[in-house]
Amino acid sequence: MKIIATFNIKGGVGKTSTAVNLAYLAARGGSRTLVWDLDPQGASSYYFRIKPKIKGGSKKLIEGKRELDDMIKGTDFDNLDLLPSDFSFRNLDLVLESKKKPTHQLEKLLKPLSQEYDFIFLDCPPSISLLSEAVFKTADILLSPVIPTTLSIRTLDQLKQFLKKENNKKIRVMPFFSMVDRRKKMHLEILETTPKQFPELLKSAIPYASDIERMGLERMPLGGFVKRGRSIQAYQDLWEEINRNL
Amino acid sequence: MTVYGKDFPDKSFNDIPPMTTPTLNFEFPGYLTANKFLSQLADKAILKPVSEHYTLKSYYDTFDWRLYRGGIICELNRSQTVSILTLKNLHTGQLIASADIDSVPKFAKEFPSENIRNVLAPLLEMRALLPLTTLECTRKFVNVLNKDEKTVLKLMIDTFEYIPCRLQLTPVKGYDKAALKVIEALIRIGLVESNQPPLIDALKTQGRKPKDYTSKLNIKLDPNMRSDLAVKYIFSYLLKAIKINEQDTIAATDSEFLHDFRVAVRRTRAGLNQLKNVLPDAETARFSHFFAWLGQITTPTRDLDVYLLDFDNYKKSVPPALREDLNALYDFIDRKQKQAQKNLAKKLKSPDYIAPLIEWEEFLRSPTIKKPTQANALLPIKTLADKRILKVFRRIIKDGQRITDQSPPGERHDLRKTCKKLRYLMEFFQNLYPKNEIKSLIKSLKHFQDILGEFQDLEVQEITLKKFSEEMMNEGVPADTFLAMGVLIQTIDKRRQQAREAFQEKFNAFDQPDIRDAFHSLFGC
Repeated sequence: MKIIATFNIKGGVGKTSTAVNLAYLAARGGSRTLVWDLDPQGASSYYFRIKPKIKGGSKKLIEGKRELDDMIKGTDFDNLDLLPSDFSFRNLDLVLESKKKPTHQLEKLLKPLSQEYDFIFLDCPPSISLLSEAVFKTADILLSPVIPTTLSIRTLDQLKQFLKKENNKKIRVMPFFSMVDRRKKMHLEILETTPKQFPELLKSAIPYASDIERMGLERMPLGGFVKRGRSIQAYQDLWEEINRNL
Repeated sequence: MTVYGKDFPDKSFNDIPPMTTPTLNFEFPGYLTANKFLSQLADKAILKPVSEHYTLKSYYDTFDWRLYRGGIICELNRSQTVSILTLKNLHTGQLIASADIDSVPKFAKEFPSENIRNVLAPLLEMRALLPLTTLECTRKFVNVLNKDEKTVLKLMIDTFEYIPCRLQLTPVKGYDKAALKVIEALIRIGLVESNQPPLIDALKTQGRKPKDYTSKLNIKLDPNMRSDLAVKYIFSYLLKAIKINEQDTIAATDSEFLHDFRVAVRRTRAGLNQLKNVLPDAETARFSHFFAWLGQITTPTRDLDVYLLDFDNYKKSVPPALREDLNALYDFIDRKQKQAQKNLAKKLKSPDYIAPLIEWEEFLRSPTIKKPTQANALLPIKTLADKRILKVFRRIIKDGQRITDQSPPGERHDLRKTCKKLRYLMEFFQNLYPKNEIKSLIKSLKHFQDILGEFQDLEVQEITLKKFSEEMMNEGVPADTFLAMGVLIQTIDKRRQQAREAFQEKFNAFDQPDIRDAFHSLFGC
């Protein structure tokens, strides 16, 4: 089983759309896939038309008395399940802090699911916090969507330094360009110059596209309402590249 | 979507639920159509039709219902886009294995999918998989949605022409409450939970039912019935077995048809031979002659069948380096078998077979003679059975005690034949005696009979293989094959010696006071 976390301190960069669309492709390819919506905004739950409600909230979730499995819902797509968000996730950090070994808690909760799923996508909230540290401890891959601007690159560097300091040997950071607008000169410049600085940057990039934005209207992964086109091809290329690197 | 590693095009995305999802199966009340049902359900739930296909559903099993007896239903579903074979649990309806396949092969080893082969091979053995019946079916997929238009339950409704509709319900993980609500509604509408496959209803419309063929004898007789009537009844039962296996014996559908055909013929001969002075002499003599002929013409093919069926054991009994050298022997036997089968088929299509068999049937149906002249005709059948069984049993004990190491092989062959006669008699009249006691005696007899059978078979094999090698010399068969055959014959000879030595021990186990007592108490007059 592989745990892939979509992560960025910044919001609105494409974390949720990436998690949802890649999970859709994984499931379609036959892999048993789970998306865990860790963001109190509940965007991925919304995309899957699943109520963002966890009985007992973040407290009961982290307590661990109930199996995660009991709270998982099947999506409308074969091989694809969702562990929904809850508004109480806004205080996940506080709940984690109250436990011994707070950053190990996610790992502990996910362990029983390792035989059930081939891929678990963690859709993370935009922040760097105790929850993020717990995510870093358990994820195999940190998939980071980066909008090609100067500030975004700076944030990516910040993340790299943080992980270096933590001496995290397990996790692989895979940044990729997201919401790329080829009409913008800065985007093109960043696209060209950054790979030298960050060789781990993936080659596939996701364009800024109106059909991706429509996911919120259609309330389903892109692949559910679009069969062909630049956007869907981009996600397929991205997923293939990630799998090659695995 | 991938099912057991096989990719399905998106069109059939909804056709098979994932293997691990539990499903519930329901049957409609006879009068309810799918559309009426859906309009009733629409009052209680938000429904979304997904797709509708026309499918042909075909069921398969061996002639003797091996899959059904093994708790498996084999179903081929063919629609415009896909053709899928499924093996399902008969009692729970759960999927055991499935494969993408256009047509169903006859034998287990011919299936391309390993999963399917592994399930089928031990049950089918040498028997062919035959089509039982085909149903035309319209399959509708309907999803149940919640207020957010999320699918919370999946329904699959199969509609048939002459039998009630079926519904399969697949819950979505985490939406158990919704599933329970719909299940309640289904039950209120009149649906009933049932895993019974549509096969059973389809067979009913044809006047058939599962397991309606078995090669085992189960003749129900009234102990007081006059013998001439009872005996005709037994022969009619055996005649049915002969006729039902006839066409597939001619077609060589699989080797068991000939085997069952021969067994029915042998039992008939035993009956005519052992139950004397019951039916008129002239007919008895005439038909004994006919069935003897019938036994003879079927022997060459069956003997060769047995060599082919057991050939793997032959291979295993020689050193690995020699095993492939035996292939030429297999090919030789195979050619002979095909020729023998051709000859047999010709004879079974000729008047030499057809005419006497019709006469036999007419004779069995002819009215009973008011004043029969045969001594045993009016004897109650139980009395005749008792007498006969005890007599043959005593003969076996007497003949068996006489056999020593020095005795010529002919004596053991005769003893084997006598044992067979006793066995057939006991099987004819089984139902006249307490079940457990007679079963136990038949078992003891079988134990002894088996060693005689083994010994004789091995002796015949040695002689036959030598004969084969002489015939094969003129066919350019490589020398290595003859070498391998030499080793094979040696192995067989060793086993024959062992069987011969085991005779005394096995006879002593049979010639026991408790068995003698049991026979006398059960069949003593």
